[in-house]
Amino acid sequence: MQWAIATAAFLASAVEFVEAFTIVLVVGITINWRSSLLGAFAAAATLAVIIATLGVALVKWVPINDFRLVVGIILILFGLKWLKKAILRYSGLKALHDEEAIFEETMAEIRARGGTIAPRFQPFGVALSYKSVLLEGLEVAFIVITFGSSMTGTSGNGIASAAIGATIAGILVIAAGAIIQAPLTKVPENTLKFIVGIMLTSFGTFWAAEGFGFEWPLSDAFIPIIIVIYLIASFGLVTWLKWYKQRNAAMEITSNSSIPDSKQEEVRS
Amino acid sequence: MKAIKAIYNFIVGDMIILVGVIVAIVLLALINTVSALAPIHGATGYVLIAVVIGALAATLYREARGNS
Repeated sequence: MQWAIATAAFLASAVEFVEAFTIVLVVGITINWRSSLLGAFAAAATLAVIIATLGVALVKWVPINDFRLVVGIILILFGLKWLKKAILRYSGLKALHDEEAIFEETMAEIRARGGTIAPRFQPFGVALSYKSVLLEGLEVAFIVITFGSSMTGTSGNGIASAAIGATIAGILVIAAGAIIQAPLTKVPENTLKFIVGIMLTSFGTFWAAEGFGFEWPLSDAFIPIIIVIYLIASFGLVTWLKWYKQRNAAMEITSNSSIPDSKQEEVRS
Repeated sequence: MKAIKAIYNFIVGDMIILVGVIVAIVLLALINTVSALAPIHGATGYVLIAVVIGALAATLYREARGNS
């Protein structure tokens, strides 16, 4: 066991696991756990096949930057879609409604009629979870192979040490996620969707730029900065939309009051 | 045609967002391939952030105008 390799792989992999788990978690809470876990397990199975087939040659054959670019772009598209809806609801341009309450109400009605409710898989949720876990899993595999290979042959098996470090990181991240999952379910629906939109757009931006070979300052530690940038922009957009709505309402009142009373009576009659 | 529309609705469902992201990709591809644009290669990530925020603002503006 090479402790230096195991520790380095643990730290690097923990970052990747946190990124993947964040998306699995938000998909589980906002869409449903079946879709989220199906996507995650399917990605794990795909990863197992890729690693079993390519082994150490994985680093050579998988174009990780192209993969980052494709996943990044899709995440930006998904993220912006959610962010747009959440911002419209916050600004009052779209009605705030609790979709979960509507869903529960519908389920209660079906049960009252004696029907059964089939567990639903949402393709959107499965796809999101799958892509994120596959990309991050590949990055963990890259970390294990590159860190491990750099030390293999000096003393003991470097890849095995790196794999142990990465496995411990994965277990710890999943355990931590299981603990924070319960309090997250109490967050209001639109707030969760807003957070998901911000997360997907931020991760998407990070990976898409990396796909073009761009190196972010501070590496993965730049993700929280991107999140803050999008949060500030979103709050600015909510404020602007609220102002725009109020201004239009005020203009409407002014234009109505400028119509003479006799004309208004004519319209009413 | 139905399949394309279903994929479009599944992934994005908003023409302004789609066009914005395509513009961003084209811009980044140009920055990374045209040698004359090499000096701004280091700004790739920031350009992407700016275009993404621009696309979001544009689609929200359209919605706001549609509502008024």
